[in-house]
Amino acid sequence: MTQRHSLRISCFVFLLVTSVQTAIMAQDQCLTCHEAMEDSHAALFKKDIHYAKGLTCADCHGGDASKEEMDAAMNAKAGYIGVPKGDRISATCSKCHSDAAVMVKRYRSALPLDQMELLEKSVHGKLSTSGREHIAQCTSCHGSHGIVTKTNRTSPVHPLNLPATCAKCHSNATFMRTYDPGLPIDQLEKYRTSVHGKRNMSGDPKAAECASCHGSHEVLSAKDVRSSVYPTNLPATCSKCHSNATYMKGYGIASDQHEQYAKSVHGKALLEKKDLGAPACNDCHGNHGAAPPGLESVSKVCGTCHALNAELFSSSPHKKAFDSRKLPECETCHGNHEIVAATDELLGVGEGAVCAWCHKENENIKGFEVARTMRSLADSLITGENEAISLVSEAEQKGMEVGEAKFKLREIRQARLETRTKVHSFDLKQFQEVADLGLAATSTVTAEAGEAIDQYFFRRWGLLVASLIITILAVSLFVYIRRIEKEQAQNR
Amino acid sequence: MENIEQTPAKQSKRDFLKYILGGSFLAWIATILYPLVAYLKPPKQAEVEVTSVKVGKLQDIEKESGQIVKFGNKPVILVRAANGELSAFNATCTHLDCTVQFRKDMGVIWCACHNGKYDLTGRNIAGPPPRPLDPLRVIVQGEEVFISKNV
Amino acid sequence: MKNKLLALYRWIDERVELRDLIEFMGKKYVPVHEHSVWYYFGGVSLFLFIIQVVTGILLLFYYKGSEELAFESIQFIMSKVEFGWLIRSIHSWAANLFILAAIIHMFSVYFTKAYRKPREITWLTGMAMLFLGMGFGFSGYLLPWNELAFFATKVGTDIAGVVPVIGKPIMILLRGGEDVTGATLSRMFGFHVAIFPGLFVVFLGIHLLLVQRQGMSEPIGFENSPANQKTMPFFPNFLLRDLLLWLLVLNVIAVLAVLFPWELGVKADPFAPAPSGIKPEWYFMFMFQSLKYIPAQVLFVDGEVLGILLFGFAGLIWTLVPFWDRKSAAGQQNRLVNYIGLFVVLYMILFTILGWLA
Repeated sequence: MTQRHSLRISCFVFLLVTSVQTAIMAQDQCLTCHEAMEDSHAALFKKDIHYAKGLTCADCHGGDASKEEMDAAMNAKAGYIGVPKGDRISATCSKCHSDAAVMVKRYRSALPLDQMELLEKSVHGKLSTSGREHIAQCTSCHGSHGIVTKTNRTSPVHPLNLPATCAKCHSNATFMRTYDPGLPIDQLEKYRTSVHGKRNMSGDPKAAECASCHGSHEVLSAKDVRSSVYPTNLPATCSKCHSNATYMKGYGIASDQHEQYAKSVHGKALLEKKDLGAPACNDCHGNHGAAPPGLESVSKVCGTCHALNAELFSSSPHKKAFDSRKLPECETCHGNHEIVAATDELLGVGEGAVCAWCHKENENIKGFEVARTMRSLADSLITGENEAISLVSEAEQKGMEVGEAKFKLREIRQARLETRTKVHSFDLKQFQEVADLGLAATSTVTAEAGEAIDQYFFRRWGLLVASLIITILAVSLFVYIRRIEKEQAQNR
Repeated sequence: MENIEQTPAKQSKRDFLKYILGGSFLAWIATILYPLVAYLKPPKQAEVEVTSVKVGKLQDIEKESGQIVKFGNKPVILVRAANGELSAFNATCTHLDCTVQFRKDMGVIWCACHNGKYDLTGRNIAGPPPRPLDPLRVIVQGEEVFISKNV
Repeated sequence: MKNKLLALYRWIDERVELRDLIEFMGKKYVPVHEHSVWYYFGGVSLFLFIIQVVTGILLLFYYKGSEELAFESIQFIMSKVEFGWLIRSIHSWAANLFILAAIIHMFSVYFTKAYRKPREITWLTGMAMLFLGMGFGFSGYLLPWNELAFFATKVGTDIAGVVPVIGKPIMILLRGGEDVTGATLSRMFGFHVAIFPGLFVVFLGIHLLLVQRQGMSEPIGFENSPANQKTMPFFPNFLLRDLLLWLLVLNVIAVLAVLFPWELGVKADPFAPAPSGIKPEWYFMFMFQSLKYIPAQVLFVDGEVLGILLFGFAGLIWTLVPFWDRKSAAGQQNRLVNYIGLFVVLYMILFTILGWLA
């Protein structure tokens, strides 16, 4: 190659490159200047995904990015808005991010388009204390100039970083107090002690973090019926991960808890009857500090509602027996997720009775006897109650007045309920005391109802006798009249 | 006027009729009188108790105590607080209808069945009861304490 | 026994001179004819009234007439007092039978024109007793203070209040206030056990005295058929027959009381809404049902007011029959009276049935 030839080529390349560079640089003069000024935002922006997609400063801030002169570039007539404040920020993001023509057609993005809409309806979309803007803007969580996708490890909304991002506000007592003094601010702290938190801290992006349960743009107050963490919705939320066997592979726990829970008394009460008194997953496991209760503390946890049973259990011989054998207390007999309504079938030593698992005729004999006696007392109460009810009903059907006996029926029902609680003392004496009251009421009611029924028949027999007497009297009176009239006729 | 001779058969028939008539008449009187006399005998429970029940003397009711009083067909709990104030409520627990009791050690009205608790205004404060207890009026006339329906 | 009774009779006679009275009564005859059977209904009414008085007095021993205790006191009588159920059910059944017997008695007197001279006063006192009887029924119905009675009284006194001018004061008088309350109960109790019995006994006394004095009325034309002029002495024949019938009536009441005990229902709650299907007792039903068929507004008069005034007027005309039925007084057949009577009977029956079916 001749020297003149290589010189021509290099000039051409140089011109090509510089023109391309100029072409590029000519598109974002803002960045050029601000970078030269060592503006940190400009430096950050270079890492931003919007920069990678070819957006300029002016695409958010307005103005003319092709102009070198400040006055021409940062010109209001060219659309310059300066640093947007308040809702102007989110409006700016939304200009593109809510526009299908931009996101889908131009950039072929798979991102959702409803973030702004959801944010406005969420709790963060409420007005701030100043009253001039929403509580949160897009930039509050996503940052402003170094925005990356959430799969990027440096993103503030990456699963491993998200808890800290939310905590920026939610662990700030002073800040939260201005909105909801009653809302706790220790969620992050508790989270770090939970199974989810520990895994999150050790780098597992699959573990649940704030958005997994609360949602991202659509976060609603936990008291809001539509919230994903409202008690009636909560089991489904936990279930999203915990019932997915594939997702949960490798963690070493079952994935059928929700299935079992839905069949249980608690599940039916909460999910079907919408009874908010029934526990959801968080009531027993905790929500931010979620972890299964320890073996020795199961009765305490159940005892937050079932106080009497827990109290009786704790002072019973079973407490030591169970704990020393590493048996989870209430769960051993009642199950954990699939807790069904406790009936008398659970008690005793027969088929289906839980006592029989440990207490057999020649093993743990003392308990065997107690269980058997308790069951037979409970059975007597049932048969007694049924008999009493049927007798009272019969008397009532016959039209007899049995208001008082009906009143005493309550005592039998009460005894049945109380004995079921007293079982947890595993002390025959306590159980017997209550059962005896019920049995006494049974005999009283049965006697009274029986008396009423006897009255019914007595009345009818009495009527028969009285009618007989009257008939005889009437007939003899009639004959007497006939006789008198015959005599009168004869005398005429 | 005495007239045709009565044959012995006729005579015995007349006597028979007289006996039957007289006898059945007496039986009839007895059938009427027996229920009437039995009716007039005062029954065991001498009085009707109902929408106003006399509990007893004010000085007999201890402070910080509660008692169950039968009010017609319902149980009613009468509580006297530490400051001497009396209050009365329908003692049927609003959870599953057990009869509540006053617990001095807990300072509340308590239900033995499932640990339901009510404060001394009858409001349900802990446990499963969904509603407060229905209050009744307590009237003190001189020394006597009465419970009556809230109207 | 007989001698003792004779001695007693002589003792009294020496002081009171019963002899004339006894002779007079011994001559009393009862005409025997195809309509004789209706003569018994006066006696049956009397018997039922006596039963009411006796059972009523017995109930007084245990009944408590205040708003708080009325219902429960009857519950008490029905369940705790020995034979209380019997006394109460007899009282309730006999009340209805009494009014039925009185109505039948009235109609039989009407159709046989027994009200004609000289028996006008007997008829008037009889009508007074019939109205009092219905008053007994109305006031007694409230005494158990149950739901049905409470609302029936409300509706009934409402209707009374509709009468122009005097209606409202009468309603307040009956209710003891603007609404039906415990005050109403007290009033009805007073009417039922004191005022009405007092008035009734006066009228009854006059009525019985006149019947004894004047004897039984004979159907028109009875004197003109000597062949049919059968009679029977009041003592002992008619009286014994009367007693026999009374015995059978007593048995009927006993059977009713035992096999169909009178219900008590539910205690009245003034704040609860009225239950559906409130109906008055059967003896008011025909009037109640009639009111339903009158349009709300007739010309310039309110429909209900018109209905009540019409019934009042009709009742007045009926009561005054001895004075406008000239023909019977002259001993002639009066077809018109018969037709009117037939119409009234059929009307009452029809509207009572209509009321039940509704």
